[in-house]
Amino acid sequence: MSAWSALICKSSFGRLTTGAAASALLCAIWLLCETAPLSPALAQSSTQSGPKGAAKPTPACVDCHAGAAHAYATAPMRHAMEVPGDDPALESHPNLTVQQGAYKYTVLTKDGKTSYSVTDGTDTLTLPVRWMFGQQSQTWVLEKDGFFYEGLVSYFAREQALATTPGDGHITPHNITEAMGRKLSPWEVLQCFNCHATNASTGTHVNFDKLRPGLDCERCHIGAVQHQIDAANDNFTTLPKALKKMDSQDTANFCGQCHRTWDTAVRNKWKGIPDVRFQPYRLENSKCFIGNDRRISCLACHDPHQHVNHDQAFYDAKCLACHAPAKSPAAVATAAIKSCPVAKANCASCHMPKTQLPGTHSMFTDHEIRIVRPGEEYPN
Amino acid sequence: MPVAPNSNLIPRRAANSKIPLKSLRTLRAAVLAPLLALTCLHAAAQDAAPQFDDVAARAAAARDAGNLPLAIQLYTQAEQLKPDWPEGLFYLGMLQYSNNDFPESIAAFNHLLQLQPGAPPALALRGLSEFETGAFDDSLRDLDQAVQKGAANQPRNEQIIRYHYAQLLARAGRFQDAILQYWFFATHHIDDSDLRLGLGVAGMRNQTLPKDIPVADRPIYEAAGSAGYVFLSGDSQAADALFTQLFAQNPTTPNLHYFYGVLLFPHAPNLAVDQFQAEVAVAPNSIAAHSILAYSLMIDGRYPQAAAEAQIAINAAPDMEMAKIALGRSLAETGDTTRAADLLTQILKDDPKNLEAHLGMAVVYSRTGNREEAYRERMVCLDLQK
Repeated sequence: MSAWSALICKSSFGRLTTGAAASALLCAIWLLCETAPLSPALAQSSTQSGPKGAAKPTPACVDCHAGAAHAYATAPMRHAMEVPGDDPALESHPNLTVQQGAYKYTVLTKDGKTSYSVTDGTDTLTLPVRWMFGQQSQTWVLEKDGFFYEGLVSYFAREQALATTPGDGHITPHNITEAMGRKLSPWEVLQCFNCHATNASTGTHVNFDKLRPGLDCERCHIGAVQHQIDAANDNFTTLPKALKKMDSQDTANFCGQCHRTWDTAVRNKWKGIPDVRFQPYRLENSKCFIGNDRRISCLACHDPHQHVNHDQAFYDAKCLACHAPAKSPAAVATAAIKSCPVAKANCASCHMPKTQLPGTHSMFTDHEIRIVRPGEEYPN
Repeated sequence: MPVAPNSNLIPRRAANSKIPLKSLRTLRAAVLAPLLALTCLHAAAQDAAPQFDDVAARAAAARDAGNLPLAIQLYTQAEQLKPDWPEGLFYLGMLQYSNNDFPESIAAFNHLLQLQPGAPPALALRGLSEFETGAFDDSLRDLDQAVQKGAANQPRNEQIIRYHYAQLLARAGRFQDAILQYWFFATHHIDDSDLRLGLGVAGMRNQTLPKDIPVADRPIYEAAGSAGYVFLSGDSQAADALFTQLFAQNPTTPNLHYFYGVLLFPHAPNLAVDQFQAEVAVAPNSIAAHSILAYSLMIDGRYPQAAAEAQIAINAAPDMEMAKIALGRSLAETGDTTRAADLLTQILKDDPKNLEAHLGMAVVYSRTGNREEAYRERMVCLDLQK
């Protein structure tokens, strides 16, 4: 191993990065769904100057891609971040409190504004909530004296209550500021906002005045703005890359930009159940993963413009596309791939078990597709 | 960022590398238990003369009283009476080091290490003595081993060991390893102008020992070291301002952008790429800059650009491992799996545990539809991860 690789993989820098990335990802675990209006960015035609200026008003994404745009308006990634006044969870739970050790937390929502308070009975610290990461279950990034903090308590949709933010359970606050939240490194702040917002950063700085909460079309479809402008002039030569044509390796790498790639997890030596959040990494751990076959791509099962389908049976056809019953055309094409001797339905319920992520009040589907044996430990 | 009070500075004596006696107490404690056990065995086997016991007791008393010349004289006498007395050899070497008798100190530790090969405190002290005699390669070899065996884990000793070790690493061209040693000081808010100079020298990839940097050249290294120190302390925003100022004041100075890129890389490879690109613009003939730019682009997933940069580096230096990894991996991702496999196999031939090469091979097999081999390579990676 080169010295440089050693630096990356073995150093304390690496550990620092690991911690930062892992904690940043904790912000990304609640991508839950609520009905929401079509976002302005999707719905409105744009007259803003694009990269080369627009001669006439540009069409909005929805004008040409109505199906995807309408569906995406309520999709979890679209609402990966919310701002005050646009948060149904808090609007319907305007007064949340929890006692955590010596500290009492209160999250108040009124007139479209939310505040986050912590008190030890003597001192009280109250900060405005400006950024809400997640839509139903959510955590808050708070700002104090020019520094950013991850709130030490978060809202959990399943319990409809506040509890310790995932990953922060080990923290013992020594003062009111530490009780308020975990101070974030600049790198964590960048990671949080880059994966939960659009146009979030320039260089080392977060564009708080320019970022747009959630992931707009152009967050994934790079070049979409130019395409809008050019399309207004009947120029269709500058199309964004067709993501659905990517093979499974490219798709895993693409989605892994935020959901974490296999390489990232390995380089950072991430281990244990918390990895279950890193779906591309878990998927690539599967024996059946192969880079040149779209049947095992993220997109084979998930349409990012849609809500996640929680019906196990929905995924059976995806599995059977390879693990088909004998003598079917698919089976002939993939003769070496075994079919399941136990069942032909609800494949994921056995082969992709739900896993409770400690401290998150949430179950995650383990994307490491495998034969799960009774009593078997979570495979690293 | 706040800095620690001066009491936490590396002892000023470190400038001429005399290790304070009290700093060695924990070192001494670490070595004493096994040494004493060994001494007992020797005592049982030998017919220890009463004269030796008397001399040893007087040597210890002189040592405790801080009378270095007398203690050295008595320990020397005791060693003549019992030549394989490990405890005596350790104290003799340590006292000689403290008394600036470096060749004698090295001789004592040579003898001790013959009796107890690989003893970390002896290796560390011999390494520090060798540093003073100018035997820098020997010193690095000893400190490498000593640090690996935990000699720098004692809070009172680690500063002086890491300080010298960092200088030697930079001298050997192991700049990233050197920066890691300086990182220890920054995170512990141990601040000193010598440290900042040393960090600047390592960051700017100069193999000269800091003491040998010409006075006229010191300001740029000190300024770079200060910016790096602030970064490593955790205040990246202040560091960014300092580096930006440095770039403006020294637009053609090589290795400034390189240094900042190295610091940024573990946190934000995409930002590191910007710095390495700037470095290539400043020093277009720098193979190291092209190579690290290629590697960073590869890590950041910009494979076509990474391949182009790596090819530039390899054209100039065909054996540049970092560039070969970057090129192999990038070609695997961009479709030339045959050449990718060739390059990565070359890497693995020399370094079978190279994680990046195995990651690349997993991709080669994955993209070519070799499911079993791809899975096997991924499992190799996970094993290496352990």
